[in-house]
Amino acid sequence: MAKKVLVVDDSKTALMMEREILEKRTSYQCVTAADGQEAVEKAAQEHPDLVLMDVVMPRMNGFEACKMMRQQASTREIPIVLVTTRSEESYMEAGFQSGCNDYITKPVNGTELVALLQSYLGE
Amino acid sequence: MNRSRKNVAGTKPAGAEQINDVRLQAARKRLAESKDQDDAIEGVREIVANFLGSEEMGLFRIDRRTASFQVFWSFGIDLEEYDLLRALGDAGLQRVMRGECHVEFGTRESSEVTSKAQAFVPIMVADQTIAILAILRLLPQKAAFDRSDMELFKLLSDEAASPLFGRTGCAKAGNEGPGMSA
Repeated sequence: MAKKVLVVDDSKTALMMEREILEKRTSYQCVTAADGQEAVEKAAQEHPDLVLMDVVMPRMNGFEACKMMRQQASTREIPIVLVTTRSEESYMEAGFQSGCNDYITKPVNGTELVALLQSYLGE
Repeated sequence: MNRSRKNVAGTKPAGAEQINDVRLQAARKRLAESKDQDDAIEGVREIVANFLGSEEMGLFRIDRRTASFQVFWSFGIDLEEYDLLRALGDAGLQRVMRGECHVEFGTRESSEVTSKAQAFVPIMVADQTIAILAILRLLPQKAAFDRSDMELFKLLSDEAASPLFGRTGCAKAGNEGPGMSA
């Protein structure tokens, strides 16, 4: 059974690219959400094997969504990789405090992204 | 745990070309599917931020009657006082008006200092530059523009005009005679 990745970004462009990379370079199934609120709901419904999530989003940002997923039993153990333009140490620290497992910066290097996801999900 | 993954400019690992194709396809699709001018502007912003690594950019429309540049839109920086002509220089402006991208490759002194690299991308209609997209400071984790970025500049140059300015705006620009020079 294919591993499922929930890709979350309010940018249609980023969502399109990340989805295309996963579909062309991996065997993972991809589901998407456009903000943190939708991500929390979809994570509970879809039970993804990993969440790849932008930080700056409307309604609910990635940090808040990450915290909420960690508070819910059904999503507590799902690996979460945050994606953002910010690379400062303090910002990354805030990401880890919210409960994410890993952090990747934009512009996303597709090869590195695939390698990172494979390190969690296998090939 | 890898807490920070820096993108390395110029590297071409296996599969990089396929991924670059995906990036180009996504950018092309995003521009083509723009619902209106605001959505097209948002598309350009997303492409520059997500794929090129800058959150400071602006679009200058060329007014051929007054031989001047007008700020059409900016993001992350106030461009009202920005001297495009000075930034580009005469030779740079002439290149951009001829349809070539002008890229300045800055050097980074430390990871705390954002790159000074800049790119000026002509937005073209029928071999005429009707606007210039200025991409200013790069994000700290983006070391410099690389070869694959040039392909994205070319795509923006060739395919952004219609979504940004519509058929009417493009046709008007195309009928306004020969380009202005520096």
